[in-house]
Amino acid sequence: MINNPILSVKNLEVKFRVRDRVLTAIRNISLDFEEHKVVAIVGESGSGKSVFTKTFTGMLDINGEVTQGEIWFEGRNLMEIKDDKGWEEIRGKKIATVFQDPMTSLNPVRTIGYQISEVIMKHQGKSKEEAKKEALELMEKVGIKDPERRYDEYPFQYSGGMRQRIVIAIALACHPKILICDEPTTALDVTIQAQIIRLIKDLAQEYHFTTIYITHDLGVVANVADYVAVMYAGQIIEFGTVDEIFYDSKHPYTWGLLSSLPQLGLKGEELFAIRGTPPSLFEQVKGDAFAPRSNYSMKIDFIKEPPIFNVTDTHWAKTWLLDPRAPKVEPPLVIKTLHQRMLDMTKKGGVYGER
Amino acid sequence: MRGYILKRILKSCISIFIVVSIVIAMVFTMIPRNKVLESDTSYRKLTGDTRTSFMYSKFEELGYLDYVRLSDMCTNDSDNYKACMVNGSDENLKVISTYEDRGYKIEFQRNGNAFAYHEYNVVELIFHFWKRLIVLDGPNAIQDPNNPDLERRVYIGKDFNDVPAIMCSGCKHKYLVYFDGSFPFIHQNWLSLNFGTSYPTKAGANVLDVIGQGQGSQVVVDTVFPTGVTVASAFDLHTATYKSSIDHLDQNKFDDHYADCYSNYESPSMINTSYIFGIISLILAYAIGIPAGIYMSRKKDKLGDKIGVVFINLITAMPSLALIFFVRSIVVNFGIPDKFPLLGFKDIRSYISPLIILTLLSMPGLMTWIRRYMLDQSNSDYVKFAKAKGLSQREIFSKHILKNAIIPIVNGIPGSIILSIGGAFITESAFAIPGMGKMLPDSITKMNNNMIICLTFIFSSLAIFSVLLGDLLMVVVDPRIQLSAKKGGK
Repeated sequence: MINNPILSVKNLEVKFRVRDRVLTAIRNISLDFEEHKVVAIVGESGSGKSVFTKTFTGMLDINGEVTQGEIWFEGRNLMEIKDDKGWEEIRGKKIATVFQDPMTSLNPVRTIGYQISEVIMKHQGKSKEEAKKEALELMEKVGIKDPERRYDEYPFQYSGGMRQRIVIAIALACHPKILICDEPTTALDVTIQAQIIRLIKDLAQEYHFTTIYITHDLGVVANVADYVAVMYAGQIIEFGTVDEIFYDSKHPYTWGLLSSLPQLGLKGEELFAIRGTPPSLFEQVKGDAFAPRSNYSMKIDFIKEPPIFNVTDTHWAKTWLLDPRAPKVEPPLVIKTLHQRMLDMTKKGGVYGER
Repeated sequence: MRGYILKRILKSCISIFIVVSIVIAMVFTMIPRNKVLESDTSYRKLTGDTRTSFMYSKFEELGYLDYVRLSDMCTNDSDNYKACMVNGSDENLKVISTYEDRGYKIEFQRNGNAFAYHEYNVVELIFHFWKRLIVLDGPNAIQDPNNPDLERRVYIGKDFNDVPAIMCSGCKHKYLVYFDGSFPFIHQNWLSLNFGTSYPTKAGANVLDVIGQGQGSQVVVDTVFPTGVTVASAFDLHTATYKSSIDHLDQNKFDDHYADCYSNYESPSMINTSYIFGIISLILAYAIGIPAGIYMSRKKDKLGDKIGVVFINLITAMPSLALIFFVRSIVVNFGIPDKFPLLGFKDIRSYISPLIILTLLSMPGLMTWIRRYMLDQSNSDYVKFAKAKGLSQREIFSKHILKNAIIPIVNGIPGSIILSIGGAFITESAFAIPGMGKMLPDSITKMNNNMIICLTFIFSSLAIFSVLLGDLLMVVVDPRIQLSAKKGGK
């Protein structure tokens, strides 16, 4: 489907041992990431978004384990790396991560400068002076004014948005091939969110890295993503370009997700909510995991797991609704008129997502 | 910053003042004062008027009351001394009634002689203590009628080693500030603290001298005295103080009136003995305990950690006396003495077992805390991020976690160092080490009032200032902490 993927995940399965019970957090995911593109992974809490991306850098918690699958990156299977020593070649250097909370991501008792140049020294083997020079350039790039003075300051002297800029600078310090942004703006206020998103977008242009966003915020997705992967109960249930997902989605869960967007709710109508809760991953999921919550479920949804149905070259979904034998269903009205309403909104005020 | 520190120092001083004042009030009002004299053998031998007179003069010396004999009354308040001294005469009665008017109590000896005394109340007691506490030496300190031509000046001169020193003529001390080879290398005699005299133990000696003077036999070496003669002597010439009546022996050695010297002793003072043990054991405890705790945190739940936890629990659970005897019974087999004085200060083997015990006793706490702080920190987000940056486990521990985890430990270091001066009572008793540890309990049982107050003063000042020092040290290691005096508010 995607030519020349930079990262290719095949049949990945991740299990966690929680109080003597086994939880399957990732259930057989296969996905290719195209170089220089932005992929957004969306889904509700607990769907396995973070766990999925953590496997790329071997950062699973100690009770987690990849039980099956391969992750191919630069011609090697990352799942063959067994110790932290091997992962150090990948983490930060090739695949960098930006975490959710900038307030706690930085060491409170080390200077900002130290924390940036430390990575440069470690991965690029540069001297302290060279590292400082590069760190100052990076600080300038991520929009820190007067970096020379702020180099020796501590995180507590920075605001939340500034700290996230520093975290991004650190992540980019070694020119990684892939940048994983794990809800990079959740802890920030709305105006800062937009700035940070724009910053990552601009830097992606300049540094040519592939971005993987994990987010709840479909606004962010619409604004930055090239592709969207919708995750539910440890699986990717729909994948496609951002337009395909927003305007021509096929999976009932994607419909539900889009319908529940507060920004797109119809005036005077009650906001849509997906009823029920996700299935427990401690037990074997039978059939389509979303079936019990779906308004469109059929008998087969409870018996057999749906295969992948290709819609276009870039768009696929895991739902029996796409089976030729399935009855024709119409997506809800909100989804059908989504395109028009988004256009209306952007007309009213700027770019969507940069509220 | 400076304002904050000044404020803290001021507050510390006030706390010390309050604590010591309370102790003074307690010691002087709640300890039955007749018992203080009971252990004095010379008092027990006395009978009659001499006994009464001795008792009151002792009480005056100890600061309980102001005691005035008849002869003093007559010298001070009568024009006609002879008439005054005759019991029952007009002059005599007049003087007695003046003292009665001043609030003195009048009593009569068996021989009919009157005497007066005034008991101090709590406020006066406390006032007298603080008034007498700080003694500043100056060129007008000595007023000697036998030596009216005494030169009065402070100057920079050279001492007998040809090392510059601030010297004085007319002061009590000859050397106000001087340097020598013993820690802390610069010494001063200008300001001294007067806690009164020790009684009934070491009767008559200055309280500070009792705990601060060397112990054991004197060190006699050939000393070149100011006049140029060389005599075998234990004198420490830096401690020379004014002596009003100098004899031929003194004149032979000294070219001025500063002929009273302290002696050099071969063993350190009580306070230094405790300090030596405290410091060395503390260094050992930190040097072993902190790496051990860090190791445990890195190997959490693995074998090394488990052994460490067993060790911590064992030492913590075992009564320290049991530990002392346990260690002692083991090390005795290796030719290490079980009592300190057996081989004394000079032999390194004397120190081994007390140091092992003191170190063992303070290690578990340190290990537990550093392990716990390290583990706390290793769950924080910045550690995850550091890992995502590609740093190795070792780098994350040494460059990131340790610096955070050490902050609370650093805060406690000055406290442990300074308080180690207080000595370890049980260990010092078990090994018969002549240190500070048993001074406070001893002085309480012996009712050595001035010693109790002096020790209270020392311990409370050390405790309070070590807390301050710990806080100041925090500023050095933790950039987030900035000291500033609170502005606004009450």
